[in-house]
Amino acid sequence: MQPPSPIADAARARLADALLRTGKGDRGAFETLYKLTSAKLFGVCLRIFPERPDAEEALQDAYLTIWNKAATFESGRASPVSWLVAVTRNRAIDRVRSLGTARYVPVEEASKIADPAPLADAQMQAYGEDRALHGCIETLDARDAGFIRAAFMAGATYADLAAHEAVPLGTVKSRIRRALLKLRECLGGKGVGAQ
Amino acid sequence: MTELTQDDIALAGEYALGLLDTAGAAGAAARVTVDAGFAGEVAAWHARLLPMLGGADEAAPARVWQGITANLPIASAQDTGTRGLRFWQLTSFASSAAASVLAALLFLQPAPAADVQNAPLVAALGSDSGTASLTARYDSKTGDMLLTPVSLHTGKLFAELWIIPADGKARSLGIVAGDHATQMFVPADMRRYMEQGATLAITPEPAGGAPGGKATGPVIASGKILPV
Repeated sequence: MQPPSPIADAARARLADALLRTGKGDRGAFETLYKLTSAKLFGVCLRIFPERPDAEEALQDAYLTIWNKAATFESGRASPVSWLVAVTRNRAIDRVRSLGTARYVPVEEASKIADPAPLADAQMQAYGEDRALHGCIETLDARDAGFIRAAFMAGATYADLAAHEAVPLGTVKSRIRRALLKLRECLGGKGVGAQ
Repeated sequence: MTELTQDDIALAGEYALGLLDTAGAAGAAARVTVDAGFAGEVAAWHARLLPMLGGADEAAPARVWQGITANLPIASAQDTGTRGLRFWQLTSFASSAAASVLAALLFLQPAPAADVQNAPLVAALGSDSGTASLTARYDSKTGDMLLTPVSLHTGKLFAELWIIPADGKARSLGIVAGDHATQMFVPADMRRYMEQGATLAITPEPAGGAPGGKATGPVIASGKILPV
Protein backbone atom coordinates (compact mmCIF):
# COMPACT_ATOMS: atom_id res chain seq x y z
CA MET A 1 0.00 0.00 0.00
CA GLN A 2 1.25 3.43 -0.90
CA PRO A 3 1.60 6.02 1.81
CA PRO A 4 -0.98 8.81 1.72
CA SER A 5 0.17 11.66 -0.46
CA PRO A 6 -0.99 15.25 -0.92
CA ILE A 7 -2.02 14.32 -4.48
CA ALA A 8 -4.27 11.52 -3.26
CA ASP A 9 -5.74 13.80 -0.60
CA ALA A 10 -6.50 16.47 -3.18
CA ALA A 11 -8.09 13.90 -5.51
CA ARG A 12 -10.21 12.61 -2.69
CA ALA A 13 -11.31 16.11 -1.67
CA ARG A 14 -12.22 16.94 -5.25
CA LEU A 15 -14.29 13.78 -5.56
CA ALA A 16 -16.03 14.34 -2.25
CA ASP A 17 -16.87 17.89 -3.34
CA ALA A 18 -18.28 16.71 -6.68
CA LEU A 19 -20.35 14.05 -4.94
CA LEU A 20 -21.71 16.45 -2.33
CA ARG A 21 -22.66 18.98 -5.00
CA THR A 22 -24.29 16.23 -7.06
CA GLY A 23 -26.40 15.54 -3.99
CA LYS A 24 -27.68 19.10 -4.27
CA GLY A 25 -28.77 18.56 -7.85
CA ASP A 26 -25.73 20.16 -9.51
CA ARG A 27 -25.46 18.60 -12.96
CA GLY A 28 -22.09 20.15 -13.70
CA ALA A 29 -20.70 18.48 -10.59
CA PHE A 30 -22.31 15.22 -11.65
CA GLU A 31 -20.57 15.42 -14.99
CA THR A 32 -17.26 16.09 -13.24
CA LEU A 33 -17.92 13.12 -11.01
CA TYR A 34 -18.61 10.96 -14.05
CA LYS A 35 -15.41 12.06 -15.74
CA LEU A 36 -13.37 11.33 -12.62
CA THR A 37 -14.87 7.96 -11.80
CA SER A 38 -16.55 6.32 -14.81
CA ALA A 39 -13.46 4.39 -15.90
CA LYS A 40 -13.09 2.94 -12.42
CA LEU A 41 -16.77 2.10 -12.03
CA PHE A 42 -16.91 0.64 -15.53
CA GLY A 43 -14.06 -1.63 -14.44
CA VAL A 44 -16.19 -2.67 -11.45
CA CYS A 45 -19.20 -3.34 -13.70
CA LEU A 46 -17.05 -5.40 -16.07
CA ARG A 47 -15.95 -7.60 -13.18
CA ILE A 48 -19.58 -8.28 -12.34
CA PHE A 49 -20.90 -8.38 -15.93
CA PRO A 50 -18.22 -9.78 -18.22
CA GLU A 51 -20.31 -8.97 -21.32
CA ARG A 52 -19.73 -5.35 -22.30
CA PRO A 53 -23.32 -4.43 -23.23
CA ASP A 54 -24.47 -5.69 -19.81
CA ALA A 55 -21.67 -3.81 -18.09
CA GLU A 56 -22.57 -0.61 -19.95
CA GLU A 57 -26.19 -0.87 -18.86
CA ALA A 58 -25.10 -1.58 -15.31
CA LEU A 59 -22.86 1.49 -15.39
CA GLN A 60 -25.65 3.71 -16.67
CA ASP A 61 -27.92 2.33 -13.99
CA ALA A 62 -25.25 2.90 -11.36
CA TYR A 63 -24.85 6.58 -12.21
CA LEU A 64 -28.58 7.18 -12.19
CA THR A 65 -28.63 5.58 -8.73
CA ILE A 66 -25.66 7.73 -7.72
CA TRP A 67 -27.55 10.83 -8.88
CA ASN A 68 -30.57 9.79 -6.85
CA LYS A 69 -28.61 8.82 -3.75
CA ALA A 70 -25.80 11.37 -3.73
CA ALA A 71 -27.63 13.40 -1.09
CA THR A 72 -27.11 10.50 1.32
CA PHE A 73 -23.32 10.60 1.02
CA GLU A 74 -21.62 11.85 4.17
CA SER A 75 -18.03 12.80 3.56
CA GLY A 76 -16.95 12.08 7.11
CA ARG A 77 -18.20 8.51 7.12
CA ALA A 78 -16.94 6.94 3.93
CA SER A 79 -14.40 7.71 1.26
CA PRO A 80 -16.13 8.87 -1.90
CA VAL A 81 -14.57 6.06 -3.98
CA SER A 82 -15.71 3.41 -1.51
CA TRP A 83 -19.20 4.90 -1.48
CA LEU A 84 -19.37 4.98 -5.27
CA VAL A 85 -18.05 1.44 -5.64
CA ALA A 86 -20.51 0.18 -3.02
CA VAL A 87 -23.47 1.83 -4.75
CA THR A 88 -22.33 0.47 -8.11
CA ARG A 89 -21.83 -3.03 -6.75
CA ASN A 90 -25.16 -3.10 -4.93
CA ARG A 91 -27.03 -1.85 -7.96
CA ALA A 92 -25.23 -4.33 -10.22
CA ILE A 93 -26.02 -7.25 -7.91
CA ASP A 94 -29.68 -6.21 -7.80
CA ARG A 95 -29.57 -6.25 -11.54
CA VAL A 96 -27.93 -9.67 -11.71
CA ARG A 97 -30.66 -10.98 -9.46
CA SER A 98 -33.52 -9.34 -11.33
CA LEU A 99 -32.16 -10.84 -14.53
CA GLY A 100 -32.32 -14.18 -12.79
CA THR A 101 -28.73 -14.84 -13.69
CA ALA A 102 -27.18 -14.93 -10.24
CA ARG A 103 -24.56 -17.50 -10.87
CA TYR A 104 -21.78 -19.40 -9.31
CA VAL A 105 -18.34 -18.39 -10.50
CA PRO A 106 -16.13 -21.43 -10.79
CA VAL A 107 -13.16 -21.28 -8.48
CA GLU A 108 -10.64 -21.13 -11.30
CA GLU A 109 -12.44 -18.17 -12.87
CA ALA A 110 -12.83 -16.45 -9.55
CA SER A 111 -9.15 -16.70 -8.78
CA LYS A 112 -8.43 -15.14 -12.15
CA ILE A 113 -10.70 -12.23 -11.26
CA ALA A 114 -9.02 -11.85 -7.91
CA ASP A 115 -5.58 -11.31 -9.39
CA PRO A 116 -4.44 -8.21 -7.53
CA ALA A 117 -3.85 -5.78 -10.37
CA PRO A 118 -1.34 -3.03 -9.67
CA LEU A 119 -3.19 -0.01 -8.39
CA ALA A 120 -1.64 2.82 -10.30
CA ASP A 121 -4.40 5.27 -9.63
CA ALA A 122 -3.80 7.34 -6.53
CA GLN A 123 -7.51 7.36 -5.81
CA MET A 124 -7.42 3.62 -5.42
CA GLN A 125 -5.80 4.21 -2.09
CA ALA A 126 -9.29 4.82 -0.87
CA TYR A 127 -9.66 1.08 -1.15
CA GLY A 128 -6.93 0.78 1.41
CA GLU A 129 -5.92 -2.73 2.21
CA ASP A 130 -6.35 -4.21 -1.24
CA ARG A 131 -3.32 -6.43 -1.05
CA ALA A 132 -4.15 -7.41 2.48
CA LEU A 133 -7.57 -8.67 1.38
CA HIS A 134 -6.17 -10.70 -1.49
CA GLY A 135 -3.46 -12.07 0.76
CA CYS A 136 -6.01 -13.12 3.36
CA ILE A 137 -8.36 -14.67 0.83
CA GLU A 138 -5.41 -16.74 -0.33
CA THR A 139 -5.13 -18.21 3.13
CA LEU A 140 -8.68 -19.58 2.96
CA ASP A 141 -9.62 -22.95 1.59
CA ALA A 142 -9.85 -22.41 -2.19
CA ARG A 143 -13.44 -23.58 -2.26
CA ASP A 144 -14.49 -21.23 0.54
CA ALA A 145 -12.68 -18.36 -1.17
CA GLY A 146 -14.61 -19.19 -4.34
CA PHE A 147 -17.88 -19.08 -2.41
CA ILE A 148 -17.10 -15.66 -0.99
CA ARG A 149 -16.17 -14.29 -4.39
CA ALA A 150 -19.24 -15.82 -6.02
CA ALA A 151 -21.42 -14.13 -3.42
CA PHE A 152 -19.79 -10.72 -3.54
CA MET A 153 -19.19 -10.49 -7.26
CA ALA A 154 -21.89 -12.62 -8.81
CA GLY A 155 -24.76 -12.27 -6.37
CA ALA A 156 -24.82 -15.93 -5.37
CA THR A 157 -26.86 -16.70 -2.25
CA TYR A 158 -26.47 -19.66 0.10
CA ALA A 159 -29.24 -21.39 -1.80
CA ASP A 160 -27.44 -20.87 -5.14
CA LEU A 161 -24.16 -22.18 -3.77
CA ALA A 162 -25.74 -25.22 -2.10
CA ALA A 163 -27.62 -26.09 -5.29
CA HIS A 164 -24.55 -25.70 -7.43
CA GLU A 165 -22.33 -27.71 -5.14
CA ALA A 166 -25.06 -30.26 -4.42
CA VAL A 167 -24.34 -30.05 -0.70
CA PRO A 168 -26.75 -29.31 2.14
CA LEU A 169 -27.46 -25.65 2.79
CA GLY A 170 -26.28 -26.02 6.38
CA THR A 171 -22.89 -27.28 5.24
CA VAL A 172 -22.29 -24.35 2.92
CA LYS A 173 -23.48 -21.95 5.58
CA SER A 174 -21.21 -23.22 8.31
CA ARG A 175 -18.20 -23.35 5.98
CA ILE A 176 -18.71 -19.76 4.86
CA ARG A 177 -19.34 -18.47 8.35
CA ARG A 178 -16.10 -20.04 9.54
CA ALA A 179 -14.26 -18.66 6.52
CA LEU A 180 -15.65 -15.18 7.16
CA LEU A 181 -14.45 -15.17 10.75
CA LYS A 182 -11.03 -16.38 9.63
CA LEU A 183 -10.88 -13.70 6.97
CA ARG A 184 -11.77 -11.02 9.48
CA GLU A 185 -9.13 -12.20 11.90
CA CYS A 186 -6.52 -12.23 9.13
CA LEU A 187 -7.45 -8.66 8.20
CA GLY A 188 -6.89 -7.60 11.78
CA GLY A 189 -10.55 -7.02 12.53
CA LYS A 190 -11.15 -6.64 16.21
CA GLY A 191 -12.20 -9.79 17.92
CA VAL A 192 -15.06 -10.29 20.28
CA GLY A 193 -14.97 -7.92 23.18
CA ALA A 194 -12.16 -5.83 21.77
CA GLN A 195 -14.33 -2.92 20.69
CA MET B 1 -23.58 -0.67 22.87
CA THR B 2 -23.98 -4.41 23.23
CA GLU B 3 -20.92 -6.33 22.21
CA LEU B 4 -21.15 -8.42 19.12
CA THR B 5 -20.75 -12.16 19.35
CA GLN B 6 -18.94 -14.25 16.74
CA ASP B 7 -22.39 -15.16 15.43
CA ASP B 8 -23.29 -11.50 15.04
CA ILE B 9 -20.05 -10.80 13.20
CA ALA B 10 -20.57 -13.71 10.84
CA LEU B 11 -24.17 -12.62 10.28
CA ALA B 12 -23.01 -9.10 9.41
CA GLY B 13 -20.60 -10.63 6.88
CA GLU B 14 -23.27 -12.87 5.40
CA TYR B 15 -25.55 -9.89 5.07
CA ALA B 16 -22.87 -7.70 3.49
CA LEU B 17 -22.06 -10.47 1.01
CA GLY B 18 -25.72 -10.91 0.12
CA LEU B 19 -25.77 -14.60 1.01
CA LEU B 20 -28.94 -14.55 3.05
CA ASP B 21 -32.37 -15.42 1.76
CA THR B 22 -35.08 -12.77 1.64
CA ALA B 23 -36.26 -13.31 5.20
CA GLY B 24 -32.74 -13.44 6.61
CA ALA B 25 -31.73 -10.30 4.76
CA ALA B 26 -34.85 -8.48 5.93
CA GLY B 27 -34.06 -9.44 9.52
CA ALA B 28 -30.49 -8.17 9.20
CA ALA B 29 -31.67 -4.97 7.51
CA ALA B 30 -34.04 -4.33 10.38
CA ARG B 31 -31.26 -4.87 12.89
CA VAL B 32 -29.01 -2.39 11.06
CA THR B 33 -31.56 0.32 11.75
CA VAL B 34 -31.68 -0.27 15.51
CA ASP B 35 -28.27 -1.68 16.44
CA ALA B 36 -25.39 0.70 15.80
CA GLY B 37 -22.76 -1.91 16.64
CA PHE B 38 -24.20 -4.34 14.13
CA ALA B 39 -24.57 -1.58 11.53
CA GLY B 40 -20.90 -0.70 12.06
CA GLU B 41 -19.86 -4.30 11.53
CA VAL B 42 -21.88 -4.52 8.29
CA ALA B 43 -20.18 -1.33 7.08
CA ALA B 44 -16.80 -2.76 8.10
CA TRP B 45 -17.52 -5.88 6.06
CA HIS B 46 -18.32 -3.77 3.03
CA ALA B 47 -15.05 -1.92 3.48
CA ARG B 48 -13.15 -5.19 3.85
CA LEU B 49 -14.65 -6.73 0.73
CA LEU B 50 -14.73 -3.78 -1.66
CA PRO B 51 -11.10 -4.21 -2.73
CA MET B 52 -12.26 -7.41 -4.42
CA LEU B 53 -13.76 -5.18 -7.06
CA GLY B 54 -10.56 -3.22 -7.61
CA GLY B 55 -8.51 -3.73 -10.72
CA ALA B 56 -7.93 -2.28 -14.13
CA ASP B 57 -9.95 0.77 -15.14
CA GLU B 58 -11.67 0.81 -18.47
CA ALA B 59 -12.90 3.88 -20.35
CA ALA B 60 -16.67 3.74 -20.78
CA PRO B 61 -18.05 4.48 -24.26
CA ALA B 62 -19.70 7.89 -24.77
CA ARG B 63 -23.15 6.35 -25.18
CA VAL B 64 -23.23 5.55 -21.47
CA TRP B 65 -23.09 9.22 -20.52
CA GLN B 66 -25.67 10.01 -23.19
CA GLY B 67 -27.94 7.37 -21.73
CA ILE B 68 -27.48 8.81 -18.26
CA THR B 69 -28.29 12.38 -19.25
CA ALA B 70 -31.33 11.22 -21.23
CA ASN B 71 -32.72 9.74 -18.03
CA LEU B 72 -32.04 12.59 -15.65
CA PRO B 73 -34.78 15.02 -14.74
CA ILE B 74 -34.29 18.26 -16.59
CA ALA B 75 -32.33 20.91 -14.72
CA SER B 76 -33.89 24.14 -13.64
CA ALA B 77 -32.55 26.95 -11.55
CA GLN B 78 -34.94 26.17 -8.74
CA ASP B 79 -33.73 22.59 -8.56
CA THR B 80 -30.31 23.42 -7.24
CA GLY B 81 -30.14 22.85 -3.57
CA THR B 82 -33.76 21.85 -3.15
CA ARG B 83 -33.79 18.50 -4.88
CA GLY B 84 -33.70 16.55 -1.65
CA LEU B 85 -36.75 18.33 -0.33
CA ARG B 86 -38.65 17.97 -3.57
CA PHE B 87 -37.84 14.30 -3.72
CA TRP B 88 -39.04 13.84 -0.19
CA GLN B 89 -42.27 15.58 -1.06
CA LEU B 90 -42.76 13.34 -4.08
CA THR B 91 -42.07 10.26 -2.04
CA SER B 92 -44.62 11.24 0.51
CA PHE B 93 -47.14 11.72 -2.28
CA ALA B 94 -46.42 8.23 -3.48
CA SER B 95 -47.17 6.74 -0.12
CA SER B 96 -50.51 8.47 0.27
CA ALA B 97 -53.78 6.89 -0.66
CA ALA B 98 -54.54 6.63 -4.34
CA ALA B 99 -57.23 9.27 -4.34
CA SER B 100 -55.16 11.87 -2.61
CA VAL B 101 -52.22 11.17 -4.90
CA LEU B 102 -54.36 11.88 -7.90
CA ALA B 103 -55.87 14.93 -6.27
CA ALA B 104 -52.47 16.24 -5.34
CA LEU B 105 -51.14 15.78 -8.83
CA LEU B 106 -54.15 17.18 -10.57
CA PHE B 107 -55.13 20.08 -8.40
CA LEU B 108 -52.76 20.93 -5.63
CA GLN B 109 -49.57 21.64 -7.50
CA PRO B 110 -48.77 25.31 -7.79
CA ALA B 111 -50.16 26.65 -11.04
CA PRO B 112 -47.41 27.53 -13.50
CA ALA B 113 -47.35 30.89 -15.21
CA ALA B 114 -50.48 31.18 -17.33
CA ASP B 115 -49.49 29.91 -20.71
CA VAL B 116 -51.96 27.75 -22.52
CA GLN B 117 -49.31 26.43 -24.88
CA ASN B 118 -47.39 24.97 -22.01
CA ALA B 119 -50.23 23.76 -19.88
CA PRO B 120 -49.31 20.55 -18.08
CA LEU B 121 -50.78 17.31 -19.31
CA VAL B 122 -51.87 14.42 -17.14
CA ALA B 123 -52.89 10.83 -17.59
CA ALA B 124 -54.38 8.27 -15.25
CA LEU B 125 -53.22 4.80 -16.29
CA GLY B 126 -55.29 1.84 -15.28
CA SER B 127 -56.74 -1.41 -16.50
CA ASP B 128 -60.10 -3.17 -16.54
CA SER B 129 -58.85 -5.71 -14.06
CA GLY B 130 -57.78 -2.84 -11.83
CA THR B 131 -54.54 -4.44 -10.69
CA ALA B 132 -52.16 -1.79 -11.96
CA SER B 133 -52.60 1.94 -11.85
CA LEU B 134 -50.44 5.00 -11.89
CA THR B 135 -50.64 8.65 -12.69
CA ALA B 136 -48.53 10.70 -15.07
CA ARG B 137 -48.01 14.41 -15.11
CA TYR B 138 -46.09 15.90 -18.00
CA ASP B 139 -44.72 19.38 -18.44
CA SER B 140 -44.45 20.01 -22.16
CA LYS B 141 -42.31 23.06 -21.56
CA THR B 142 -39.48 21.24 -19.84
CA GLY B 143 -40.04 17.64 -20.95
CA ASP B 144 -40.30 16.57 -17.31
CA MET B 145 -42.71 13.82 -16.51
CA LEU B 146 -43.60 12.51 -13.10
CA LEU B 147 -44.97 8.99 -12.84
CA THR B 148 -46.52 8.07 -9.54
CA PRO B 149 -47.48 4.45 -9.00
CA VAL B 150 -50.63 3.76 -7.04
CA SER B 151 -50.33 0.03 -7.54
CA LEU B 152 -47.72 -1.34 -9.90
CA HIS B 153 -46.26 -4.80 -9.45
CA THR B 154 -44.27 -6.50 -12.16
CA GLY B 155 -42.42 -9.09 -10.09
CA LYS B 156 -38.98 -9.72 -11.52
CA LEU B 157 -39.82 -7.73 -14.62
CA PHE B 158 -39.71 -3.97 -15.07
CA ALA B 159 -42.57 -1.63 -15.88
CA GLU B 160 -41.80 -0.07 -19.25
CA LEU B 161 -43.68 3.05 -20.25
CA TRP B 162 -44.77 3.57 -23.85
CA ILE B 163 -46.26 6.49 -25.73
CA ILE B 164 -48.73 5.52 -28.45
CA PRO B 165 -49.70 8.52 -30.60
CA ALA B 166 -52.27 8.67 -33.38
CA ASP B 167 -50.25 6.40 -35.69
CA GLY B 168 -50.75 3.54 -33.23
CA LYS B 169 -47.03 2.74 -32.94
CA ALA B 170 -45.71 2.29 -29.41
CA ARG B 171 -42.48 4.08 -28.57
CA SER B 172 -40.62 3.42 -25.37
CA LEU B 173 -40.12 6.21 -22.85
CA GLY B 174 -38.25 4.20 -20.24
CA ILE B 175 -38.71 2.19 -17.09
CA VAL B 176 -40.97 3.26 -14.24
CA ALA B 177 -40.39 2.22 -10.63
CA GLY B 178 -43.21 0.32 -8.96
CA ASP B 179 -42.56 1.48 -5.41
CA HIS B 180 -41.81 5.17 -5.68
CA ALA B 181 -42.36 8.12 -7.97
CA THR B 182 -40.22 8.23 -11.10
CA GLN B 183 -39.16 11.55 -12.49
CA MET B 184 -38.50 11.08 -16.16
CA PHE B 185 -37.13 13.37 -18.79
CA VAL B 186 -38.86 12.82 -22.12
CA PRO B 187 -36.20 12.93 -24.85
CA ALA B 188 -36.54 15.69 -27.45
CA ASP B 189 -37.49 13.32 -30.28
CA MET B 190 -40.37 11.90 -28.24
CA ARG B 191 -41.93 15.16 -27.11
CA ARG B 192 -43.94 15.66 -30.29
CA TYR B 193 -45.90 12.52 -29.42
CA MET B 194 -46.75 13.73 -25.96
CA GLU B 195 -50.02 15.43 -26.79
CA GLN B 196 -53.65 15.34 -25.81
CA GLY B 197 -55.33 12.14 -27.00
CA ALA B 198 -52.17 10.05 -27.22
CA THR B 199 -52.04 6.95 -25.01
CA LEU B 200 -49.52 6.10 -22.32
CA ALA B 201 -49.21 2.38 -21.58
CA ILE B 202 -47.20 0.08 -19.34
CA THR B 203 -45.92 -3.39 -20.21
CA PRO B 204 -43.78 -5.68 -18.04
CA GLU B 205 -40.41 -6.17 -19.70
CA PRO B 206 -37.09 -7.78 -18.87
CA ALA B 207 -34.29 -5.74 -17.33
CA GLY B 208 -32.89 -3.24 -19.76
CA GLY B 209 -36.30 -2.79 -21.32
CA ALA B 210 -38.07 -4.43 -24.21
CA PRO B 211 -35.51 -6.00 -26.52
CA GLY B 212 -35.25 -4.13 -29.81
CA GLY B 213 -37.73 -1.51 -28.66
CA LYS B 214 -40.71 -3.82 -29.17
CA ALA B 215 -42.98 -4.59 -26.26
CA THR B 216 -42.99 -8.26 -25.28
CA GLY B 217 -45.38 -8.13 -22.34
CA PRO B 218 -49.11 -7.45 -22.22
CA VAL B 219 -50.39 -3.96 -21.53
CA ILE B 220 -51.14 -3.94 -17.81
CA ALA B 221 -52.19 -0.29 -17.57
CA SER B 222 -53.00 2.44 -20.05
CA GLY B 223 -54.61 5.84 -20.21
CA LYS B 224 -55.09 8.81 -22.50
CA ILE B 225 -53.23 12.06 -22.10
CA LEU B 226 -55.51 14.91 -21.07
CA PRO B 227 -55.05 18.59 -20.34
CA VAL B 228 -55.42 19.57 -16.70
